[in-house]
Amino acid sequence: MPETTARNTVEIGYGGSERLTMNMGPQHPSAHGVFRAILTLEGETVVAVDAVIGYLHRCHEKLGEALTYVQYPSIASKTDYVAAMTAELAYVSAVELVGKIDVPRRAQWLRVLAAELQRIASHCLWLGTWCMDMGGALGGGATVFLYAIREREDVLDLFEALTGARLLYGFHQPGGTRYDIPAGWTERCRATLDRVAQRLEEYEAMLENNAFFLVRTQGVGVISRELAQEVGVSGPLLRGSGIAHDLRKAAPYSSYEEFDFRIPVETAGDCYARYRVRMAEFRESITIARQVLDGLPEGPISSRPGVKSVGQVRVAKGEGYGRVEGARGEVGCYLVTDGGPKPYRLKWRGASFSNLAVLPHILPGVKVADVVAIMGSVDPVFGEVDR
Amino acid sequence: MVSNGAGFWTETQQLVRAVGRAMGVTLRNFLRRPITVRYPTVKRVYPDRFRGILALTYDRETGEENCIGCRLCEYICPPQVIKVEMLKAEKRNYAKTFTLELYACEFCELCVQVCPTDAIVMLKSFDLATADRRELLLDKDRLHALGLQFEPSWATGNRLRDMQAPPKPAKAPAAAAPTTEKAAEKA
Amino acid sequence: MTLPPLAVDALVGFIVLNVVIGMVTYVTLLERKFAARMQSRIGPYYVGPHGLLQPIADAIKLMMKEDVVPASADRWVYNLAPIVFLVPCVLIFATLPFAPGLGVADLNIGVLFFLAVSSLEIVGLFMGGWGSNNKYALLSAMRAVNQIISYDLPFVFAAFVPVVLAGSLQMSAIVAAQQGAWLGVVPKWFVFYPVIGQLAFVAFLVATLAAENRVPFDILEAESELVAGFRVEYSGMKFALIQLGEYAHMIGTSFLGALLFLGGWLGPGSDHPLVGALWFLLKAMLVFLIVTWVRWSFVRIRVDQILAISWKLLLPASIILLLASAFWVAARGAHGV
Repeated sequence: MPETTARNTVEIGYGGSERLTMNMGPQHPSAHGVFRAILTLEGETVVAVDAVIGYLHRCHEKLGEALTYVQYPSIASKTDYVAAMTAELAYVSAVELVGKIDVPRRAQWLRVLAAELQRIASHCLWLGTWCMDMGGALGGGATVFLYAIREREDVLDLFEALTGARLLYGFHQPGGTRYDIPAGWTERCRATLDRVAQRLEEYEAMLENNAFFLVRTQGVGVISRELAQEVGVSGPLLRGSGIAHDLRKAAPYSSYEEFDFRIPVETAGDCYARYRVRMAEFRESITIARQVLDGLPEGPISSRPGVKSVGQVRVAKGEGYGRVEGARGEVGCYLVTDGGPKPYRLKWRGASFSNLAVLPHILPGVKVADVVAIMGSVDPVFGEVDR
Repeated sequence: MVSNGAGFWTETQQLVRAVGRAMGVTLRNFLRRPITVRYPTVKRVYPDRFRGILALTYDRETGEENCIGCRLCEYICPPQVIKVEMLKAEKRNYAKTFTLELYACEFCELCVQVCPTDAIVMLKSFDLATADRRELLLDKDRLHALGLQFEPSWATGNRLRDMQAPPKPAKAPAAAAPTTEKAAEKA
Repeated sequence: MTLPPLAVDALVGFIVLNVVIGMVTYVTLLERKFAARMQSRIGPYYVGPHGLLQPIADAIKLMMKEDVVPASADRWVYNLAPIVFLVPCVLIFATLPFAPGLGVADLNIGVLFFLAVSSLEIVGLFMGGWGSNNKYALLSAMRAVNQIISYDLPFVFAAFVPVVLAGSLQMSAIVAAQQGAWLGVVPKWFVFYPVIGQLAFVAFLVATLAAENRVPFDILEAESELVAGFRVEYSGMKFALIQLGEYAHMIGTSFLGALLFLGGWLGPGSDHPLVGALWFLLKAMLVFLIVTWVRWSFVRIRVDQILAISWKLLLPASIILLLASAFWVAARGAHGV
């Protein structure tokens, strides 16, 4: 990691070669959450970056030891609060892996549907906030933000009809899901998917060949293939650098092997490549969701009886790692159990935590304005980072 | 600016077309209806299963309190906001006191799901903002009053458990699997 | 009773100043409603019918705020900066004739005076950035100096194309040169001149965007990086003065654009000065709305890219346009266009 020079403020002289330490601090309109980056600048160029996290630490792993397997899925959604369904799925997959609990087919398909709809909603938020960072809250960025949020609200309306909540669901339980789809939901879902697909065309029209957008994103924040493999990033960062690794194909879980979809990969490794990967993922998620709606099997939504008491799920002694492909990368949950209703130890692998590790390698050498574009394309959510 | 080596005139043409397309999208949205819902004069329709504020219910036929003070909700609540004291009586038990700290509630609906008598429910409203936090420490009377004031959500304990449980072996052919949409329509 | 000419001028100036400030506050509401509709929402709605009293509410709020001066700021520079910023931005309205005979001063070097005075705002801007004793503000001020100086040149050249075509720097003469219509249908406004007019208008608009720090050239107040740029330490009435100055400058250049390219106060019934003034206002609002439309459709670009556009693209283009219009005028000779 490049050495940061002394953190004291230095006077700017006329030579222009003195260095200025600037705090892109935890309170910042584009920090994507509470993140502190101590930037060392020479003029407009970033020379070194010191990333400070931990402002959102809420002791999830200790909570995991204090709450039972029945209670914790509602809390698990608060790690990656933007893509709550995949966060819950990671925990519940770990429990089912270690406890050897089956999940009925309908529940698996419902989980896939929830995860893909959640991916669409999460990418809507990513697109909106990234464009807002680059375009300003009083400018074109805010326009794209409001359009993306309008689409996200439609998807959240679907989730609200399904579970009753818009952001943090408590949809998964060990053994299946907690809610089934209500009457009329399938038609609404299809209409929403059609509308999102059509509006995606509009976003691309606004951004795709737009010279202003391209100069901000092409060639900016290049993560080389070797760097991506070395540092351990995952998700669109990995696929934007040429590595075709997606857990939904590499280690299929929850009946993903039954669906027909591509993994979008780009080789350039810059912000534009990651943008293209996520836009293609939008379309793939819509495809998968439509396949689920077309062929949803009948059957129970849980292999265990409904939640009746707090300690009803007991998992025998063992340990295991449950992983899913979240919107930001690989979200994993390592569980050590001891036979009781609560785990002995729970460790979260947050996708954003590992993705942020790439920042000290790619930020030095870029301009201050590019820092914002790069942070947006890395798309961190600090619930996952700090847990 | 964007050097893709296509030559000055092609680039200019691309730029003009891209600018025109972006501004066209904005113009098209200018002519659409705004999607704003003018709350609070206009309220949007809440879905059936909306998870709003919590309340205690009375039995629809007898008018008695549904809560039997079994404390299952207290045990399952992840942030432990419910505190119940049981009052034993001859035919059935009651809750002597029932406090719910709404300011710390996560609205996860687990307490609703475990309740064996459908006593605690969530309502289709969230309008409980106050200036004083103590008004959000709901006691039993307040919870019962809220239950009469707003419309309850579709999801009660029994319905949620039925939705999640595997289908019971059919005693009669009419006992349909409780997880399909037909059950939701019936309930 | 006839007043001495000095008093008459002062009175007219006072009236124009008040009208301008009133217009500026309501233009903020226009922009907010326009932008909101483009974003599928309604803008200010509750304060007054359809939000018509919103600017008044904002002004009262800003007047009631505490006046905070950072402890280590350079007091004189910090306190004077909003005033130094505001004065040129409002002074440009002194040279704008709103209709024949309706205006403060119709100088025979009107356009030159306008352009020269309007570029003085950069001094106030830099004073604000420096006097705040804040790294964000200073960074923003440095970018601002860079950008505005780079774009003043194409701005001036693009604005001079109508001057050359009309043959005079006096604003009323420029409007007079746009009277009449070709084939009785297409008005002889300079924007309708084949190629030269349209290109010059486009160049003028782009240079306006940059000189006003509007997206896509608003790197100096990039909210997501620099949190309001050079204004970050200002609050209350000083902030109001800066906002006023920015929007006044914006409206002023819109009026200039309408005058130079869209025929000023010409239109049906423009013999009557008030009708002419109304046409002028409508055209200025049209220019303003076009600029706003661009603002709310694009992301911003980096400062080195902004400077590249100016020096490598816009400046050569505007020089060529000016030369082309000069050749055209020389070629047409004594008879008009």
